[in-house]
Order: sequence, then C-alpha cells, then structure tokens
Amino acid sequence: MTAVAQNITPPLKMPAGLSPRMEWLREYYFNGAERAWNNESTSWTTGTPWDVQFNEMTFYIVPETYMLMQTLLSSYRQSARPVALPPDFWAKSLAERRAWFIKEVMVKYLPAEILPGDLIAGGRFNIQASMCLTETEQAEFNRLTAGKNGARSAMNWFHNHGYGNAGATCGHLVPGYDRVLSIGWKGIYEELENFYRDLSDADRKGPKGAQLRAMMTAATLPRDLAGKYAKICERLSAGEKNSAHTTERKAELAQMAQNLKKVPWNPPETFWEAVQALWLTHMLVMSDENYPGPGVSFGRIDQYLLPFWEHSIASGMSREFGKEILKCFWIHANTAYDAMIRNGNQGITSGFGQLITLSGLGKRHGTLLDMTNDLTFAILEVIDEMSPILEPKPNIRMHRDSPDTLLDKMTDMVASSQGAPFLINFDERSMAGMMREAAMAEIGHLINKDNVHDYCPVGCLENTMAGNDRSGTVDCNLNLLKAVELAITGGKDLLPFVDPMTLKKEKIRQDGPSTGDAAAFQRWDAFWSAYRQQTAYIIRKCVDLYETSESVRARFLPTPYLSCLVKGCAEKARDVTRGAAEISFVTLEAVTFATTVDSLLAIKYLVFDEKRCTMRQLRQALEDNWEGHNVLQALAKNKAPKYGRDDDAADEMAKQVMDLWTEETWKHCTLSTGRRFRPGMLSWNYWAGDGYIMAASADGRKKGQFLSNAICPSNGADINGPTANANSVGKALGGKDFENGDWETYLNSLPNGASHTMTFNPAIIKDPAHREKFKAFLKGYAVNGGTCLQVNILDPDMLKDAQKHPQDYRHLLVRITGYNAYFTSVGRELQDEVIARLSHEQF
Amino acid sequence: MTPSSTAEFATIFEIMRMSTEDGPGIRTTVFFKGCSLHCAWCHNPESISPNPQLQWVGNRCIGCRTCLSVCRENALALTESGMEIDRTRCTGCGDCADACPGTALEIMGKTWDLDDLTAEVLKDQAYFETSKGGITVSGGEPALQSEFAGQFLKALRQRGIHTALDTCGCCRREALDQVLPYSALVLFDMKLMDPVLHKKFTGHDNRRILENLHYVADYMRSHVHPSEMWIRTPLIPRATATRENIGAIGQFIGAHLRNVVSRWELCAFNNLCRDKYLRLGQRWEFEKEELLTLDFVDEMADAAKSSGVDPDMVVPTGSTRLE
Ligand code: SF4
Ligand code: SF4
Repeated sequence: MTAVAQNITPPLKMPAGLSPRMEWLREYYFNGAERAWNNESTSWTTGTPWDVQFNEMTFYIVPETYMLMQTLLSSYRQSARPVALPPDFWAKSLAERRAWFIKEVMVKYLPAEILPGDLIAGGRFNIQASMCLTETEQAEFNRLTAGKNGARSAMNWFHNHGYGNAGATCGHLVPGYDRVLSIGWKGIYEELENFYRDLSDADRKGPKGAQLRAMMTAATLPRDLAGKYAKICERLSAGEKNSAHTTERKAELAQMAQNLKKVPWNPPETFWEAVQALWLTHMLVMSDENYPGPGVSFGRIDQYLLPFWEHSIASGMSREFGKEILKCFWIHANTAYDAMIRNGNQGITSGFGQLITLSGLGKRHGTLLDMTNDLTFAILEVIDEMSPILEPKPNIRMHRDSPDTLLDKMTDMVASSQGAPFLINFDERSMAGMMREAAMAEIGHLINKDNVHDYCPVGCLENTMAGNDRSGTVDCNLNLLKAVELAITGGKDLLPFVDPMTLKKEKIRQDGPSTGDAAAFQRWDAFWSAYRQQTAYIIRKCVDLYETSESVRARFLPTPYLSCLVKGCAEKARDVTRGAAEISFVTLEAVTFATTVDSLLAIKYLVFDEKRCTMRQLRQALEDNWEGHNVLQALAKNKAPKYGRDDDAADEMAKQVMDLWTEETWKHCTLSTGRRFRPGMLSWNYWAGDGYIMAASADGRKKGQFLSNAICPSNGADINGPTANANSVGKALGGKDFENGDWETYLNSLPNGASHTMTFNPAIIKDPAHREKFKAFLKGYAVNGGTCLQVNILDPDMLKDAQKHPQDYRHLLVRITGYNAYFTSVGRELQDEVIARLSHEQF
Repeated sequence: MTPSSTAEFATIFEIMRMSTEDGPGIRTTVFFKGCSLHCAWCHNPESISPNPQLQWVGNRCIGCRTCLSVCRENALALTESGMEIDRTRCTGCGDCADACPGTALEIMGKTWDLDDLTAEVLKDQAYFETSKGGITVSGGEPALQSEFAGQFLKALRQRGIHTALDTCGCCRREALDQVLPYSALVLFDMKLMDPVLHKKFTGHDNRRILENLHYVADYMRSHVHPSEMWIRTPLIPRATATRENIGAIGQFIGAHLRNVVSRWELCAFNNLCRDKYLRLGQRWEFEKEELLTLDFVDEMADAAKSSGVDPDMVVPTGSTRLE
C-alpha cells in the first residue's frame, strides 16, 4: 500500500517533450470522470441470490473503509450483471469455477477498446467478480467474516483498542513476468499440463487436480483476450482512411494486431511485443484479484526488458519510438485509478503501488556489478517527461558504487519534482536483510549470496524476491507502542474504549499478561521485563488476528491466474493463497517505532534515572492526556533522550526494541497456510490515524497527535541534521559487524526493509556544487543508513505548517542565505521571507 | 565552567553537521568560542565572548518559572516582555539551563575534551569520504584555542580526514604554527583593506592580519600542508561592500597571494541572525538592513574580477533580495 488521498490533478510541473499522441492520451487521462472511456470497476454475478462480489477482507488494513464495508458490498451486489453459467458450473471445484468465471467476464462480457493513438492493447481490467460460492459456502464465508465472532469483529476490536490492524490483502508481490517473456503463456500452460500428467489418478480427482485444471483455464485467458484485441486492431486498421496522416496509424494498428496474435501466448521478440505481453499479463493479475494495482509490482523491469530493447534498437527501432511504447504503458498503469472514478474517492481505496525497480547490483560473469543501462535511462526519461503522473512508481536501487550518471539524473529529477516524493532503495542494507531472512527461515537454497542481488521492492519499499515470493508485505500492522501502555498498566488499556456511534464506554479488562502495576517497580529492569512480556503478547495477538482472515482466504478465495505466475504453486498444485509460493512469509510491519523508543527512554529518564517523577505521577499525566502536567510533559519532550540524533545511548535503546520485537516475530507461523512471520517497517498512513486512537504516550505526545512514521525519528526529534538521522536509522537496523555481517559487513534486522523519509532544503540541490554534496550524502547513506529513503524537498506549505506548529518542527534547518538557522527559532518576519523565497525558488 | 585553552579541553559553542558552506564536500564545522575581532556585522554574536553565555529562546518557554528558583545569583526575571537576564550577575553556571523543561534557556559554549570531540565528529566519516569533505574548525577564532585546535586537527589528519581552518587572521604567530601543519585548507577572512575602517568596524586594525596572511602564504610555499587557501570577504553594505575595498583586496591577492589562493568567496550580507542578538540581549546596528540586491552583488563581483585576480576564482555566495 502506498499513500492515501493521492491527488491526481496535475500540479505545477508540466510534462515536456511529448508527441501529439502522448499529449492527447495524457490529457485525456487527466480528464478523469469526464472521459467517455474509463476503467471503472464493473460487478459480475453468477445470478444466485446469495452471491457476493466484494471481498471485504482486502480492506481490513484500510481503517478509513471500515464504515463503508456494508455499503460497498451492497452497491456492488446491486449493480452486478449476470453471467450465463454452463450447466456443469456448480459441479466443479471452487478454483475451477472462479478461473472460468473471470475468464468469461474478461473475454466475453467486458467491452474492449483501443484509445486513439494508443500503442498498447488492454484497457478495462477493474472488475468485481462473483466469489462463485455455493449457498453453503457463501453462508460459511459470511459467518466467518461478518458473523458475531468473525474476522471483521476481531479486526475491529484490535483496531479500536489501538493495536493496529491486520488482514489478508491482495497483491504486494512481483509476479514471474520474466517467465512470460521467456517462454510465453504457452510455455506456462505446457508446464501445467506436465504437472497434471504427473499427478496420480487419485490426486487428479482431488484438490490438486482441480487446482491445476483451474490454472490451465486461467493460463489461456491472456491468449484469448489478446485474440479479441487483435481483431479490434485489425478492424480499426481497415477502417482508417487512406489519407496521408492516417497511413501511419493504419500501419501501427496492423502491427499491434500482429503483436497480439503472437504474444503473450508465445514469447515476444521485439520490444513492442514484450511491453504488450507484460501489460496484458500484469493487468489480468488485478482482474484476478479484483483489486486495482495493490502493490502488484514489476520488479527489475530495466533488466528483463533490456534484451528486447537492445534487439529492437539494433533492428532499427528508434529510441524515441521505444519510449513512446513505454509512455503508452504508463497511461495504462494509471487507469488503475479509475476503479471508483465516479465516487471521486480514489483516495480512500487506492492502495496503489505498481512499483518498478530500476538499476541496482547484479552479477555478470560472476562479478557483482552495477546494472544501470540505456533502458534504465530511457525509463527515467519517460517518467520525467510524463510527470507529474503517479504510476508506475519507480524505486531506484542504488549502492556504494552507483554510477555518477545515474545519480546526476536522480538529482535532476529530485530537483524538478516539486515536492513529489522520490524513492531510493539501498542495496547493501537491503541484501543484508534478505540474507538474514534466508538464515532465519533456513531457505538458503532460495536466497543466497549468488542471487540475493535479484531482490526487488514491492509496493513502496518492501523487499522480496521476484516470481516465487509472496510475503504479505502490508498484511499486519502493529503499533509497538501498545506494549508500553500495557507495561505501565499491567496488561490493561489505559483508557476505556468509547464507541463513537453509541458513546458507550467499554469496561476495561485484563487483556495482556498481568505484569503488575508498574508503580511498584523499583528498577528500570523490572519495567523492561514487563515491556518484553507485553510485546510478546501484542505480537501473538496480531498473529491470531491475521489467522482469522488468512484462513478464510485460503478456503474461499483462490487466485488461479496469479498462481500461474508464482513459482511453487504449479509444483505443489496448490493456490498462492494457500501459502504455495516457494518463499511465503507474512510480514509484520511495526508502526510507531520511534514513539515507542522515545517513550521508553522518557520513562527510564523521568522515573528511574533522574527521578523527576514517580510512575504513578507519569501514569496520571498520561490518563489526563498531559492536561495540567505541562512541566512533566515539557521534560518528557525536551529533556529525555530521543532516537534519531546519533546519540549512541538512545540509539542503543532503539536497537534493543528492534531486537526484541523482531526476534519475537520470527517465532510465529500461520496455522492454516504455514507461512512464517517476518519483520518490517512500513507505516502507510496509520501513524496519523492511529494517533487519535492511542492514549497519550510517555514521550510527551498527546492523544490525537501523530505517532512516528515507520523507522523515522519522531517528528522534530532529529535536531542534529540529516547525517545524524541517517546514522541512527542504520544503527537501529543493526549497524555493522566487521566479522559477522548478514551481507558483507552490513547487518539488518528487517528483511522487508524500513521506510525512512527525509525532507531536504532545496538549497541542497540549487547549483552543481551543492548537487555534488547531495549525491555524496546519498552515497554516505548507502554506507551508514537504512534500506530505503524517501526524499522530500521542503515546500512552502510545510514551512507554513511549521509556523503554526513550531513544536513539531524543531529540527527544521533552513539554509537560505548560505547560513543555517532553525526555522522555528527565527522571527516571524524572517520566516515569511524564507517562505517567499521558497515560493520563488530563490534560495 | 571556565573557558579553557589547554590541549585537553576547549570551549565550543556549536557543532554543525552536514555543513555545506564551509569548504569542500560535506563537513562538520566545529565552532570555537571566543573571537579576537568584534565585527559590527557579526553573524554569530554568541561566538565573540570566550565565556559560556546564557541565552533564552522565547518560543520554547512554557512559563513554569523553574529557572527563577534554581538561580543562586538571582540573575533572572520573567517579565511581560520575556526573560530578562541580568548579565552582570549571571556567571554562566548553567543550572537554570539544566533545569529548564522547555530548553528555552541554553548555555552557549560547552567544554569538550579532545577524545570526545574527535569521536563526535568522526560519526560522519562515511559522508566525508563520499563527498571529499571533512572537518572545519571555525568560530569565533579557533586560533585563540590553538593548542587544542592543533591537537584536534592532528588527530583527524592522522585518520586521513580533510581539515580546514577558518580564521580571521587576528592571532599570535605561534598560534598559527600550532594549527597550520594539520590544516589542509585555510579559509582566510579579508574584510577591509583600509586600516582605519578595519579598526572602526572590527575593533582592530589589520596590520597583524595582513602579516599573518603573508606568513601563511610563505608557510604554504615551503610546506605540503596547507595546500589550499580560500579568501572569504563578507559583503556588508556601507562597510566592506564598496568598489574601493573590493578592488583593494583583489589587488592585494593579485600582488601577494598568486598561486596560493584558489578561490575568493564574496559572502552576501544576511540578516537571519537578527534574533540571535535579541536572545543574547544585544543590539545590532544592522538590524534593519535588508539583503543586498542581485545587481549590487554582481557589481561587487565585477569589481573583484577586474581587480587583477583570476576572474574564475571569484565566487559570490549567499542570497540576494527578492525583487
Ligand atoms: S546560568 Fe547560572 S547564574 Fe546564570 S542565570 Fe542561569 S542559574 Fe543563574
Ligand atoms: S525554566 Fe525554562 S521554560 Fe520554565 S520559565 Fe524558565 S525559561 Fe521558561
């Protein structure tokens, strides 16, 4: 999942250097709801009275939708159009029913069009299809989700009490697109046939046979859909008049028809064919899962498309035309946002993140080398020329020896991005995390020093392998801070939950282990030990919650098409939703890391080390939301040590918290699907929303204020600048070990990676000399920092916010006149001047 | 806490990490407290006194009055207009700052020992390496604590870290001898050529400064280190920023520092430090001054470029007025 409430109106930066074709397509796309053509979700039913099209569990990790679940479910049901079923439909297994149904909708029911000038076929893909359940199955599904003790109520309890959220969610993997490009769907189909042939008679009659038959049906979907589009292209081509300016288009359409007759069933040869095959294959994953663009990521696109690019360039394709093909691909990816176009609420449900990975280390002739190539640059140019545009989102992999040319291009893009965030993944630290995963789960045959460089991020920054890995990277989101609250109270909520609708106050219960009233603790160790036990408890609680939806998905929601693209599923004749991927983890994403660390540091400082207050006083202050305790709150905020300042003592606490929760996480597996839990840190937007749910915290934060985001230091805590901030993050992940690193000297407790956002002053990129320093900072980050950095450039709005909330921006350095000052400590007049300068891009 | 200029301890008022304006690459700039000059336009008023000084940052104060009760000298009063610090009474003991929950009260000037300071600045070694940056000792005037500064720079050179000395040039010859051998780059301030104006604006004439400048240049000609010198001239309206003064500095560089100076920075006046004066309870004569116009800075740069130096060497820095 990526950001919420994305704004799709193009901001100030205007696209440059687009052909008339692309200008038209791009503008058409941004017409949004006014377009005649769109990719709005349509709903399809088996026609039974019990039929349901909307799988609410996919949205369990999106708290904004909790109130809408029933509405969405009914509206899809009401608008669902019936699909005529074959007589033996209900006699088939669920997987076969579903595979057939999706294929039928995509090939026979959903309209197909080619937009004017478009070079890629594959338009509508957003569908909500019947779950294809029998009456009994549907009743069971409903009971297990929306029933009294079902998954939904468990999820609500967890969220309402400030623990976080969890749910079996779609996407968030890199499907094996490279296989489609090398053997075509035909090759995949033949493999399936072979596996089917090898089954025993008994297995063929059982679930294994059913699964493989379902996958074979699914494997022919891209072939048949491509055939349908090929006919459309032929018709359009014949219909074009023979005027001078349409002759070219006629030829393009004829070529598209040729392409579609060949791919993706057969492997592509040209770049155009390869991109066409990639797009159709990709969009059907979203159809199969009934969810637009949920972190279904492309992986190392500049590596696996490179042979086709080089082949076509060598056989006469112009570089510009190659980019034109890519630009059409870009437009297609963005139509994921059309899903709920008329509701205008793309923001709420858009867990988009069709991520592409660019550059990074790779092996050539046994040596680890940088893999940046001409296609990497062509893709970056495409993004630059098309932007502002949201999808597919790039995450550029860099490392200590990334080439200057790449860093120059990245810096240019950061400079012109006008506040749009920019993602950079760091290879050394990331690979260390993947190697740790291999060691912890004993899967060295799947991830090892010979292939770990082929890892790629999904969604935003969640590191996985490609084509054989589904690690549920956004499925579990746990507020570590809850364990601090429970350690203070001895296992109970600090404040009673009040139902926002009924205003009914719940009675406080003993939820966690009774570790005793912390007021009785004489020493810090005693508190830490209570915190340990509560941490183990909240993790188990999260694991248990996840099981409630994971087990239902495994039973009722197969995705046979996606299973064809994930290694392990055909081999085991088992669906990817049943944990069949070769690498099949569930990621537990910790939220509120810095708030947790800072709260522990504050408790240690205030109660035990400096004895500025008693535990009882502190607890009272938290119950009172710090009202009437402003001196104690100021001490907690300003005097207690904080993570993020490169203060070794404080960062050691961060390391201990990290070790504790990650070790605890590795202990668990899902019962229904046998997927092991692995740790990560991504906090999507929960750090904002859950700030209103969680009680005040010992770091001085009031209820209602934001929690900390992913691995970032708390708001305003990083008062020693970007290098100190980055160093703290690196240390929290484990730092370095010169003898026993996970990868070379690097340690990393988080295989999934950790999201780190830093905001820079535009002065750092104002001229060539400063840009060199910025590039050097990034290289230094590769040595000392974390796995992924999101670079933001300071904008005037942020400074205006800083004027309103100076306490949140103590760290904000402005470096406007070749002179540094903390923004909030200069007078109003000068602040206004700084804002004016930023608005005029005059630093 | 007393200021110290021994080999083991120094009084430092700020350590600025990821500094991008004090020499090549990414640097950590260590600001030594105490200055031999007292420039009317000084951007770091807290750097002038060698003693720790108390400052009060109003927007951090929560009005709890804790400070009033801990001060043994009765030097503080919280009034309608903010905190009043009786500087004749305040000894800079720091008790109030320690107790202040808002960190509104702060002591500018902390004592650092050599090992701690070295360890602190080495935290960014990775960034120095990737950027060809390093450490800049600045101030104040670091040569006033030359024994410590020399040992500090030496310790860094031994670790292969690039070092820069930022000096106003007003110091004893022996002090220079202690720091020059361990400085790879010297950032030398040249403010005014006219000795009378120099005295008027900085409290000292420039005889010793120019002698020291010759001395450093000679030293560089006969030693491997320092290997580079940059001249820095603040462009201060009605003081240093005149065609005559810039021309005269340029002539001096052209005549005496050929092949020694590789860059001449003209640093445009800025007014961001206005609040620093307020916090220290001081008045500043440039308080109402606006930033320079771009035309004016260009004019000064022209004067510099046509003064007989290599024009490529002249680099104007800092911001100009919004038009
Ligand atoms: S520094 Fe010491 S003497 Fe000065 S005001 Fe504070 S407590 Fe009083
Ligand atoms: S102790 Fe600090 S916060 Fe309290 S009144 Fe004094 S200066 Fe203000």
